[in-house]
Amino acid sequence: MQDVTSLIPPVPHAFGFTTEHALTRQQARRFLEENSPREHARALHDDRLGYDPALYRRVLELGWLGLTLPESYGGAGLDHLHLMLLWEELGRALTPSPLFGALLATHAISLSRHEAHRGRWLPEALSGELIPTFAFGEPKGAWGPRQVSCRAEPKDGAWQLTGVKAHVPFGASATLAVVPAVDHRGEVGLFVLDLPSAGVEREPELSVDSTRRSARLVLSRARVPHDRRLQGDGARIFTQVCTLGYAVLAAEMVGAGEQVLELTRSYATTREQFGRAIGSFQAVKHPIVNMLCQLELARSLSLGAGAALSDSRLIDQPEVAERAARMAKAYGEQMLSHAVQKGVQLHGGFGFTWECDVQLYFKRMLWTRATLGDATHHKAALAAALFA
Amino acid sequence: MSRYEPAESEELAAFRAEVKAWIATNQPPKPSFKLPLSFLEVESEEQFRYLRAWQRKVYEAGYLGFDVPKEYGGQGVSLDKHRVVAQELARARAPFMVNLIALQWAGPTILAFGTEEQKQRFLPGILSADDIWCQGFSEPGSGSDLASLRAVAVPSEDGYRVTGHKVWTTLAHFAKFMILMARTDPAAGKYAGISYFLFPMDTPGVTIQPLVKMSGEGGFNQVIFDEAPMPKDALLGAEGEGWNIAMATLMFERGAGEGVGRERAAGFVERAGALAALAASTTRDGRPVSEDPVFRDRAVQAWIEAQAMALAAARSEAPALNAERPMALPLMNKLVMSEWAQRLAELGCEVLGPEAALWVGDPHAPDDGDWPRAFMNSFGMTIGGGTSEILRNIIGERVLGLPKSK
Ligand SMILES: Cc1cc2nc3c(=O)[nH]c(=O)nc-3n(C[C@H](O)[C@H](O)[C@H](O)COP(=O)(O)OP(=O)(O)OC[C@H]3O[C@@H](n4cnc5c(N)ncnc54)[C@H](O)[C@@H]3O)c2cc1C
Repeated sequence: MQDVTSLIPPVPHAFGFTTEHALTRQQARRFLEENSPREHARALHDDRLGYDPALYRRVLELGWLGLTLPESYGGAGLDHLHLMLLWEELGRALTPSPLFGALLATHAISLSRHEAHRGRWLPEALSGELIPTFAFGEPKGAWGPRQVSCRAEPKDGAWQLTGVKAHVPFGASATLAVVPAVDHRGEVGLFVLDLPSAGVEREPELSVDSTRRSARLVLSRARVPHDRRLQGDGARIFTQVCTLGYAVLAAEMVGAGEQVLELTRSYATTREQFGRAIGSFQAVKHPIVNMLCQLELARSLSLGAGAALSDSRLIDQPEVAERAARMAKAYGEQMLSHAVQKGVQLHGGFGFTWECDVQLYFKRMLWTRATLGDATHHKAALAAALFA
Repeated sequence: MSRYEPAESEELAAFRAEVKAWIATNQPPKPSFKLPLSFLEVESEEQFRYLRAWQRKVYEAGYLGFDVPKEYGGQGVSLDKHRVVAQELARARAPFMVNLIALQWAGPTILAFGTEEQKQRFLPGILSADDIWCQGFSEPGSGSDLASLRAVAVPSEDGYRVTGHKVWTTLAHFAKFMILMARTDPAAGKYAGISYFLFPMDTPGVTIQPLVKMSGEGGFNQVIFDEAPMPKDALLGAEGEGWNIAMATLMFERGAGEGVGRERAAGFVERAGALAALAASTTRDGRPVSEDPVFRDRAVQAWIEAQAMALAAARSEAPALNAERPMALPLMNKLVMSEWAQRLAELGCEVLGPEAALWVGDPHAPDDGDWPRAFMNSFGMTIGGGTSEILRNIIGERVLGLPKSK
């Protein structure tokens, strides 16, 4: 039997946490409290675009998209613990923005071996000149590098993409999409497609979470110039993009769980029945404590995934950091699912209303579970390593 | 992107290698008799001697007491080395430290509240296992509601005389000392009348009666005091301060001490790995249990949670990461760890299928029946040291500020 401890990242000492990390978290929280309270998410519920472009520009000015990207492209060159702390705050605030798709797309581009790709698109994405997204999904539940059915055929010195991409984050308004497709040799390539483009029909989807818009891209011989295929092993880059996606979604769920805990905790201390605050009933108190315990474990896994993504010992073992990220996403989902259900239940009739903010997080939980693999999926993948 | 360099310092890595090598050559062979699974079930003289010899050996080699200053017999405080030793002992599946009550909660309490003389007198014997300690808090009528305790310590010419009835007293049958809670002022309030003593067990008027656990094992007792004499300097802190000191002891017991969570979590990932190994070597309906998707899912769940607990313990070392709720992780430790261990032990029984029906001693029992034994004994940890229910009350009220339950 293998040594299980070598399958997952070593437990980091104090997570390499510094005052800089504390600053990242503090600045993010303060900015979002001022500029993205929950009324902001509610106000955009029926908005056509689904986010506030002015706010997105400010977020870019703060450097949040390029936090871990090299400074030479306009990034901040920080480690991934910063990223996890930032996304925790974004999850708490439920900020509607195209940041998630843009993060995945820029990560993919940053992994291209072609300097011209990085040098061109990264600065443009970080400045907001273009709003990129990443098309990880296809219809009928397909996602990830092993389930790509979209095809890329060489034609007249260009690529022609044909197929359907689903759940593309903010796909209706993005101006560039990194699109995985299988080429004539059977290899997964990542193609950088301008939007809108001839041969691309965009059909907005109705997302369960209005802060996370999405669209279908129906590609019929959509033309991508030859030099717009990211250089390197497309499937490998796709895998690494997914890893980053698991990690930031895990961090977001921690932030969301934190807020649901706070809403529920505070309601339980103020709402009175039978002449006393309902939080004094153990049938109310104990589930809230369970929320806390699960939340702190989920946060530990999420920060652990952040540390692993930047761990110098794991550079040549991306699968180890991937496992850490899978653990964080799987457990984060379980935590948040429990939290929002108890959150609704313990708010009583009010909890069941549109007005109670727990519903916003309930929807975020459903969206996040559905995105980039649910707990069952990730646990099955982890089992393959545990029982190899 | 910048990377962080978390590798252990050269000094610490060398220390780890040294500890590892020392354990490999000095770990005692498995005895011919059955060892208990934890310090809670040490029953026979031969078990006790074997375990005491092991603790003494680790201490004499210089690996025990990295949480105790040199002047009190410790190695000088180095939480890093403390953690490394704990990790390597867990990894080697070395026997546990028999004097755990003293090492992890009586000792730290004495270190925090004792006089200079008490520290010099008691701490070295704790580390060397010369002096075994037990804890006399619970009484038949006072468990969760500990402050309702009725044992009294009545002043006499040369000290006190203790009368009362303690129960569930782990290790009392081997103990030289007891941390004892007794009332010195019955007229004072529920909390104010309680004092905390370092009670020498070898004295007239003390009767120790073993109690039998659900597994059939021993390890705890009831202790009856009938005007048992105790010297004046057995008092820790001042009279009437006992409740506050006891709360500190309970914090230590529940793993809230610095580095303790880390120490306890050290072996969890390995234990999840052992469960996976068990599943791979056990067949059900003619196939390895490890091929069953339902079981795989549950094993991975245990693995994830083990890693989460280890990471949570490591987080305690970066206080700024937990600034908003500094007490959450320390107070959670015992609750989440004991409930996890319970699930893991039950899962082990489920893996075994029909073989889980075989008890300790049956020649065909897998792992000599330790899985069902561990499952039963796991309740010792969810009940002892404050039940899971009481811990949920405490966390709800102290960490989350929820109103008190009546
Ligand atoms: C293996 C083992 C070793 C032990 N070793 C020691 C030792 O060395 N020294 C020592 O002093 N003690 C020891 N104990 C005793 C232990 O601390 C007590 O058993 C424990 O505190 C519970 O007290 P009780 O047994 O009286 O149960 P009770 O307090 O009667 O509790 C019974 C049930 O009611 C629940 N309950 C009680 N009050 C509340 C409440 N307010 N809210 C919700 N639920 C509640 C409890 O959670 C429990 O489920 C040991 C116990 C065990 C099992």
